[in-house]
Amino acid sequence: MAMYTVVLPSLGDGEDALKGGKVAFWLVELGQSVTAGGDLLEIETDKAAFVVPSPVGGTLREKLVREDDDIGVGDPLAVVELD
Amino acid sequence: MQANVRRFPEWIRRQWPSGEAHQEVKALLEGLDLHTVCQSAHCPNQGECWSRRTATFLVLGNVCTRKCAFCGVSHGQPLPVDIDEPGKVAQAVQRLGTKHLVITSVTRDDLDDGGSAHIAQTVMAVKERNLETTVEVLVPDFGGDAAAIATVLASGPEVFGHNIETVERLHPQLRDRRYSYRRSLEVLQTARGLRTAGFVKSALMLGCGETEADVLGTLRDLRSSGCDAVAIGQYLRPGPGNGPVAEFVTPDQFKVYEQAAREMGFLFAVAGPFVRSSYRSAELLAAVPAER
Repeated sequence: MAMYTVVLPSLGDGEDALKGGKVAFWLVELGQSVTAGGDLLEIETDKAAFVVPSPVGGTLREKLVREDDDIGVGDPLAVVELD
Repeated sequence: MQANVRRFPEWIRRQWPSGEAHQEVKALLEGLDLHTVCQSAHCPNQGECWSRRTATFLVLGNVCTRKCAFCGVSHGQPLPVDIDEPGKVAQAVQRLGTKHLVITSVTRDDLDDGGSAHIAQTVMAVKERNLETTVEVLVPDFGGDAAAIATVLASGPEVFGHNIETVERLHPQLRDRRYSYRRSLEVLQTARGLRTAGFVKSALMLGCGETEADVLGTLRDLRSSGCDAVAIGQYLRPGPGNGPVAEFVTPDQFKVYEQAAREMGFLFAVAGPFVRSSYRSAELLAAVPAER
């Protein structure tokens, strides 16, 4: 079975680009399925809350960050077992 | 386990930008070394706009000579003007296929003309290379210099925008001391006086401690200054160095302001938590013909 590691997508390499945020909530539990483009977790920046989508469809097997963790772009967030 | 407490109300929620179109815009802008206010202001609409292959270009560098308490753009010693920038913006617009473009800039008090000629050159370069593209400029106050406003207007943008940003009472707290509420109204009035066609637009952000009476008063001031389009959105704190949000205005209250603006005679009014002066700005020209 193929596993996929979801990372927080980069918004740009410029010094101005948003660099990350704080994990607010997981929106999918371990063992639950997620669709490609479906909401995986919610993070907060200073400015707003953002839902982070899963780029792939499958089953959530591992959460690599916890609520209240500070995370940056490129950080691994979750492992999804591909459909 | 105790549930985490959300810092933002349900309606202050966006999708984290991702996807192929977004990556393409990112690569293009980085390749041309162009700045966008989408990034500089950490705009929460970046994902949606870039996925639709639109961006708001920030010309004249990404360092502003003024410091407003609400703004996420860097301030300090500005960068030298990139004389190739107009051509690069025009190239980016062509490659993105943008049909309606917003060009904004930092404030450049260090330049004799406030950067107006450079903004005008950018508009002309975009239009020369992209015959179908309509352009909206969002400019600083140029110190109230009518000649600078005329220079920008002569380049033929369909929409001339200058943001009042906040109500009169909060101006001293939120804006750089070189800005003033009355001068911003004068800029709009000057632009209206010089224009025979096209729109004069402004925008303000709410949630900074203003009352409903303050907002309605500002809308009336804008209207009587000849402004015919207005965008009203929620102030969102760009970072820890900026002032806090006093209130998250509800979507219903935004609708009240939108309706009030229409009743005052604005040809175009849009209000909502994520509305920005440049957000979905093409809807203005789609809703109201430029030639009236």
